[in-house]
Amino acid sequence: MVIDAMGLILADHDHVTLSNLTQPRALAAVPFAGRYRIIDFILSNMVNSGIKFVGVLAESKYRSLMDHLGTGASWDLDRMTQRLFILPPFMNTSLRRGDPTSNLSGLLDYVENGNQTHVVIADSNVVMNESYTDIYKAHIESGADITALYNRDGDRFGSPVISLDFDSNGRMNDLLLNAPDTAKATNFLGLTIISRDLFLNILGMMIARGQDEFSQLTLLKMFKDLNIVGYEHRGRSLRINSVATYYSASMKLLEKTTLDDLFRRDRLIYTKVKNEAPAEFLEGCKAKNLLSSDGCRIKGEVENSIFFRSVQVGKHASVKNSIIFQDVVIQDGVILDHVIIDKDCVIRTGVELKGQPDYPVVIEKGAIV
Amino acid sequence: MGRQETVAMILAGGQGTRLGVLTEHVAKPAVPFGGRYRIIDFPLSNCTNSGIETVGVLTQYEPLELNRYIGNGHSWDLDRNNGGTYILPPYQSITGSDWYKGTANAIYQNISFIDRFNPDFVLILSGDHVYKMDYSKMIRQHQETNADATIAVIEVPWEETHRFGIMNTDEEANIIEFDEKPEHAKNNLASMGTYCFSWPVLKNYLILDEHDKESENDFGKNIISAMLADKQSLKAYTFNGYWKDVGTIYSLWESNMDLLDRPEDINLHDDSWRIYSRNPIRPSHYIGPDAVMDRVSVTDGAVIYGSAIHSMLSDSVFIEEGATVKDSFLMPGVVVKKGSNLNRCIVGMNTVIGENVQVGPEVEGGIDFYHDERVCTEGITVFEQNLIINDDIKFAANSMVYAPTADDGFNEIVIGLSELELMTEV
Repeated sequence: MVIDAMGLILADHDHVTLSNLTQPRALAAVPFAGRYRIIDFILSNMVNSGIKFVGVLAESKYRSLMDHLGTGASWDLDRMTQRLFILPPFMNTSLRRGDPTSNLSGLLDYVENGNQTHVVIADSNVVMNESYTDIYKAHIESGADITALYNRDGDRFGSPVISLDFDSNGRMNDLLLNAPDTAKATNFLGLTIISRDLFLNILGMMIARGQDEFSQLTLLKMFKDLNIVGYEHRGRSLRINSVATYYSASMKLLEKTTLDDLFRRDRLIYTKVKNEAPAEFLEGCKAKNLLSSDGCRIKGEVENSIFFRSVQVGKHASVKNSIIFQDVVIQDGVILDHVIIDKDCVIRTGVELKGQPDYPVVIEKGAIV
Repeated sequence: MGRQETVAMILAGGQGTRLGVLTEHVAKPAVPFGGRYRIIDFPLSNCTNSGIETVGVLTQYEPLELNRYIGNGHSWDLDRNNGGTYILPPYQSITGSDWYKGTANAIYQNISFIDRFNPDFVLILSGDHVYKMDYSKMIRQHQETNADATIAVIEVPWEETHRFGIMNTDEEANIIEFDEKPEHAKNNLASMGTYCFSWPVLKNYLILDEHDKESENDFGKNIISAMLADKQSLKAYTFNGYWKDVGTIYSLWESNMDLLDRPEDINLHDDSWRIYSRNPIRPSHYIGPDAVMDRVSVTDGAVIYGSAIHSMLSDSVFIEEGATVKDSFLMPGVVVKKGSNLNRCIVGMNTVIGENVQVGPEVEGGIDFYHDERVCTEGITVFEQNLIINDDIKFAANSMVYAPTADDGFNEIVIGLSELELMTEV
């Protein structure tokens, strides 16, 4: 089935911040899996599903996001007929509609300009490799107003958890935020499909009421007035709702099955090209259970860790159970365990940092420790 | 098309016979190198980094893979509105059709292409050399000295002068004599096969050369010699840095090992002079819980469960548990199954080495069916691309393992061909 839908990616999430990791960047731009950012998975899913117009709604801190997305060429979205639209906050001076400075005007314009029948809306706190064709098909067949993706992964993934309840006909009849027992519930997986006309209508009303922040929660809360149905996702998904879940989702990448599910040969995940030289494992290094990226130069001992591009690890340094972002320099003899180190940091000789699985130490971007 | 001050022409049509089966289906410039590159990435990236915007790539032998790889030049930023990359195969015209008879003839056949840009200078580059060179410095010297031709030279050890075209120069760097592979060299400045010509002068000599029935239509032998005889102004431009003609199995192996042993010589991490390539769309590489990584270069999509020692591993290589790869260069997509030991090997793209296969100079009683010392020297064994090698085979060193021809059929050593990988690169 050919998807007749435009895509909309919400780069920020009202309820999700990853401490220092989202200080300098939007949630969608948070690095993940060694050489990607979270948005790469969502964008690639959309492109692989045949979606040809993708808008990225950015609320703040979108410099690194824009730098990463560029013209959209890495996802083949810089074409005559395949386009990427970045929708930063919009200062609308025309008096055409309600609030002239509504942030939603840019979004409204984007959706108005599409000629597709539907819109696929995705949050940036779930990583998966999925085709949206099946949920789209289910949406068309059910005739519902909105179809929401959910799963019962039973994982402990931290707040926010949006649990959805459905009646015997499958129509949504309740919404719980951070319910006491989320492990057994059917929990929203950050993706909805809605018809473009209905979405335009809702956006128009929001602007008329002076609301200027859109999230999928707004849509789901309309379950009384609209026919919202669910679609269960049975494949692999990794939720990123907090530093602890970012850490545990990353560590799952060290399991072969997770890697195989996320990086399938039939549905490729695209990212910005960097032309970095290959990684070098130098004399005296010990490397075990490691996902590492081009440009790394390893002399020390590294284990159970994820290295982004161009990480340097000095002699006799020991890095375990850690996530090290791009261009970090770990000098000789440093000891790190359960640590997340953001871009461009330098960890000097003599430093020893230890966190816990639930509370990894996070070092902010550019720090010299 | 606008005028371009300089047009670069990359000679990429040669077969590279001394690389044996590695160039059976691929032109030499498209042979993988250094984990995530093809040899032609070096001259192409040098052009981009030198500010040269128009590049003609002359192809002839097995051009499919090379053409596919270069595409529209996008990966090297050479997909430009003005100029860009052009693949230039031989063509048919009203007066007939000709293969490129020699390096000079290849340029001669493309005079009208170059004329379209009305350039002052034409750079002639080789598509099969590994080096980082700022051509703009050479062009500047060419301009400042008002030379008709400037030839890049590099100092080579005296004992190796017999392998090179040696340029004899006076104290002002004027080239006074050209010695092709001299037995007793008077100088140790070797031509790198990189030339800068003033276009009107070169064009004239190309036409004269074409009319000379005796000529072999070769740049070194014919064009340079003719210009010297006519007392044209030929200058040497001395290049300092790493430069290698990866023309033989040994030099291909050695230059990959150089990247491991002396990475600073051609520093691929240098931000000011990136070597661009088509990037495989693969996740980061994964090193397994029992892996051994000792002096290894590795890139996207590689998965290592076994041991890798002093080796160059390209993208999407898979080494199973209990397999050992030592002093070897594995090209993209190679699979080494458990229990196998590879020592001093070059393995072509997507070849699958079965279980308990033993290769290397230390292996005793290896089959010598594929033994070929004309091509494979110094104990190095080469596997052609896309082979499936049977389990439990021992190979004598200096073997060149190739796919059977249609008549022979598969044997108990090469039991099939691996599936053609879909091209997933950006």
